Amino acid sequence: MTATLTRDAPAAAPKPPAQRPRRRLSVPHLLLIPAIVILLVGMGYPLIWQIVTSMQEFGIKQQFGQPAPFVGLANYFSLATDPTMWEVVVRSIAFCFITAAVTLVVGLLLAVLMTAVGTVVRLILQISLLLAWAMPVVAAMTVWIWLFDRRRGVVNYLLDMIPGVDMNRFSWLSTPITFFIVASVIVIWMSVPFVAFSVYAGLTQVSEEVLEAAQLDGANGVKRLRYIIMPMIRPVIMIVLLLQLIWDLRVFTQITMLQDAGSKSSEYDLLGTYIYKLGAGSQDFGMASAVSIFVLALTLAISWFYVRSLLKEDEQS
Amino acid sequence: MTDTSLNTHVIASELAPAPAPIPTAPETQPQKLTRLRFRPARILLSILAIVVSVAWVFPVYWMLNSSLLSNRTLQSFIPTFVPIGGSFENYANALENGTFYSALGISLSVTLIAVFFCLLFAFLAAVAISRFRFKGRKSFVLAVLIIQMLPAEGLFIAQYKMVSSVGLLNSIIGVSIIYTAAVVPFTIWMLRGFVAGIPADLEEAAMVDGLSRTGAFMRITFPLLAPGLVASGVFAFLQAWNEFTVALVLLPAEDMHTLPLWLRGFIQASATRETDWGQVMAASTLVALPVIVFFLIVQGRMTSGLVAGAVKG
Amino acid sequence: MKRKYAVAAIATAAALVLAGCSSTGGDAASTESAKGQDITLWLMGGDTPDTLRDYLKTEYKKATGGTLKIEEQGWGDAVAKLTTALPDAANTPDVTEIGNTWSPTFTNAGAFTDLSDMYDELGGDKLLKSFVEVGEVDGKQYALPYYFGSRYNFYRKDIWSAAGKTVPTTLAEFDETVKSLKTDTQSGFYIGGSDWRNGISWIFANGGDLAKKDGDKWVGTLASDETVKGLTEFQSLFEGASLAPATEFDSTPWVNINNNEATGVPEAATIIAPGWAHWSIGDLAPDPKDATKTVATWNDDTFGTFVLPGVDGGAAPVFAGGSNIAVSAASKNQAGAKELMKIIFSEDYQTLLGENGLGPANLDYASALGDDQFAKALVESAAGSKLTPAAPGWAAVEGAGILEEFFGKVSAGGDVKALATEYDEKLDKLLN
Repeated sequence: MTATLTRDAPAAAPKPPAQRPRRRLSVPHLLLIPAIVILLVGMGYPLIWQIVTSMQEFGIKQQFGQPAPFVGLANYFSLATDPTMWEVVVRSIAFCFITAAVTLVVGLLLAVLMTAVGTVVRLILQISLLLAWAMPVVAAMTVWIWLFDRRRGVVNYLLDMIPGVDMNRFSWLSTPITFFIVASVIVIWMSVPFVAFSVYAGLTQVSEEVLEAAQLDGANGVKRLRYIIMPMIRPVIMIVLLLQLIWDLRVFTQITMLQDAGSKSSEYDLLGTYIYKLGAGSQDFGMASAVSIFVLALTLAISWFYVRSLLKEDEQS
Repeated sequence: MTDTSLNTHVIASELAPAPAPIPTAPETQPQKLTRLRFRPARILLSILAIVVSVAWVFPVYWMLNSSLLSNRTLQSFIPTFVPIGGSFENYANALENGTFYSALGISLSVTLIAVFFCLLFAFLAAVAISRFRFKGRKSFVLAVLIIQMLPAEGLFIAQYKMVSSVGLLNSIIGVSIIYTAAVVPFTIWMLRGFVAGIPADLEEAAMVDGLSRTGAFMRITFPLLAPGLVASGVFAFLQAWNEFTVALVLLPAEDMHTLPLWLRGFIQASATRETDWGQVMAASTLVALPVIVFFLIVQGRMTSGLVAGAVKG
Repeated sequence: MKRKYAVAAIATAAALVLAGCSSTGGDAASTESAKGQDITLWLMGGDTPDTLRDYLKTEYKKATGGTLKIEEQGWGDAVAKLTTALPDAANTPDVTEIGNTWSPTFTNAGAFTDLSDMYDELGGDKLLKSFVEVGEVDGKQYALPYYFGSRYNFYRKDIWSAAGKTVPTTLAEFDETVKSLKTDTQSGFYIGGSDWRNGISWIFANGGDLAKKDGDKWVGTLASDETVKGLTEFQSLFEGASLAPATEFDSTPWVNINNNEATGVPEAATIIAPGWAHWSIGDLAPDPKDATKTVATWNDDTFGTFVLPGVDGGAAPVFAGGSNIAVSAASKNQAGAKELMKIIFSEDYQTLLGENGLGPANLDYASALGDDQFAKALVESAAGSKLTPAAPGWAAVEGAGILEEFFGKVSAGGDVKALATEYDEKLDKLLN
């Protein structure tokens, strides 16, 4: 793969948007003011509070007005030495990578499928995906829990009909493995529409002429996919993957609702529910804040591939 | 990663103005990627697509189906797949005490306020970072990216303290501010790609023709951005509509509950008895309905919005 | 740091002085200052029936002229909401119901108003002692009992008599009987493996406990000999008698003892449940008012109740379920809030509680429960009932789901002693 394949010349040729030195001073800053103000108001204070609290001993007594002793990095040290924390971290990363990867692959395949079928079939597929996408999370979770219900769930009923399979009353939410399979299936179901639509949008932008030229030059389907289509939709895939990674790492509502229906045990925790349990559950806000800051760092580390290219791009332009 | 140069190149070229992505509806772009001359293969793929559609829509169908069946029917160990003999009684029961309408009103207000301001603020910021080069641009882009990564589950005490100290607890404004702030980063990020995708040349041409810079922007760029705004608006809408942790803490009064809280209350209320699935499914349908209607309204524009270069960078 | 503490000490002292002032006024004054105060009461879940809520609103209006607003909070989210709202003077509920086991946490944090001066007026020694104790700090009462509902057994007379079984008199006999009643499709005794609120009865019965105060620190006692003995007994009971998943916690076991509508037979021969479950147990028929629903009509020929027997006979000490009620320290309407407390602890309201099947806080009115088998079983099981340790960190233990996790692992067949040692450590971190 060479860089020349990334995009045909006409697309990249126009001058970069940045060449407008005469407006250098005030206009862009003015334009940014509303966004900066709302971010400072809405997120600034909570973020600072979180950083400060992560270095304090802050429990329910502090919440009721007692002074919070400054403990430096003690919360972080006790996190680092807590095996439960590391189990949750490893589990979350595994869940996040697997779920995001499967989401991406399924989304990609569905996008390709959309381009390969007739208009009517494509519309049917798009509308089903759209309906799934439009389902509010709490409503969707309720339905899925009902589908996987131990006694009267359709999933068990249908699986049980397969000869030789005994799934009668199989309790999906009672072992961590099956619990996270269910969670993963649900998250994938919810996220694939977004991926599929975005990639499909990207695919429809691939220039027909280039493909035809490649075909004339003897490139077969696989080669065209690998050398022309993939590089062209790569930016879409990158950003979609990044978003999936961010979202899947801190997935909360889905896990907490499954826990309500299954088990509250810490073996079923991911980072989102772990933070919530520490904070809202155990009123240990110092530790909860420390985990939050850790998750922020972890997300940054995972998405570094993107952040770095973003920064480089900025330097170049 | 050894091929970062390639990586960067891709993104850089993405950010450079692309040829005018005149919103082309996907319908007008027939299958140009996979030229399947063999009918059998195409039929197989169509069947596969239908199977996938059915599988994907099944949970939605199941919600509707169950919402029409009586609790007695649902008690059976043999599922009823078609709601023959169903009724709307579950809906009547779910709507009985009228709390749904107040929750609907609050959800709509909070969501629409948040979406409006979020789009406005994010649009301005997106124009700034994709049309101008200025000091602090990089820090801003980076800050926006990082804020997105902060897990929300630990923030609720701070948010409560903040909102309560200015007397905005149990108010639509308080929650709207938090939602707007929470959704703005992602929206900026998304709109940035759209704005960058619209060639500045077009504006310049209009300016040569005598329009002011603002005039050129409003007359030329803004209409081209409409699908992008719709697509970003949909994301903002979904996030605000679905949110429930913040709402739980910032709207403690019962008469200020949003729809997700209303639905959760519904599920919890039945925690002491056996879950009344029919009623819960009816309630879920009621919560999903406004979103589905909203999606169907903006559907065409949104798809063309995505085609026009959404989420490219 | 020292200065900070000094400031806090002054603040605390000032608060005490203020509290002192308000209480010196006496009753007449407090009723006077309550005039026209609009207050808010938080109730947890739907346990308090509407008639009782209406009664409170009407009486409060009569007594003060003010309006009482009642807001219901879901049990699941209640701790998060109490934690944020109670310290916040502008938004705190004036009076709130809390889970009885959370009382130590909130009282120790200083969330509630000292009610010692009106303790005797509200019932004093007649109030359910174990509940009063969890709401006490240093001999002062902050949270008082609201209602209790301890747990007893419901069983299928038809299944038991067909198998030739009679009501057991000792815990060992109970275990043995329900194990013998288990079949492939029917639990002899249906209990979720993580259902620690019921499971601790076996610990209590064997003389064990979850934690104890050692000097001025609380320590977990899961690994004590008595507790391990109880847990081992519970483990063998779960494995031998229940078909429920090991991860099931707060379940709704009463659905299992009714005839299943699809199969016509019950899925459990015996369950343990809070007393009010009897409204849901019986012969099922369509609700005449709403055909989509079913109502259960108790049938004495098929269903029966008995109190979980102790190791040596008598009643086993079961978990005392129920709630406490307290006045928020941050409330600006202390007078109105105290007025509401007086209404709640009045003879009329206590009687209403009893008539609705909720154990009244003031045991003098326990007779209002009636004298049917449910009332008898409730009173009998409550007599020996026990609460969870009154440790300041107890709400954190519950919030973190540690006991569900521990019981789940025990039920799944884990090594009891090793698990107990492991979880004692986890308890120790949270208890104080």
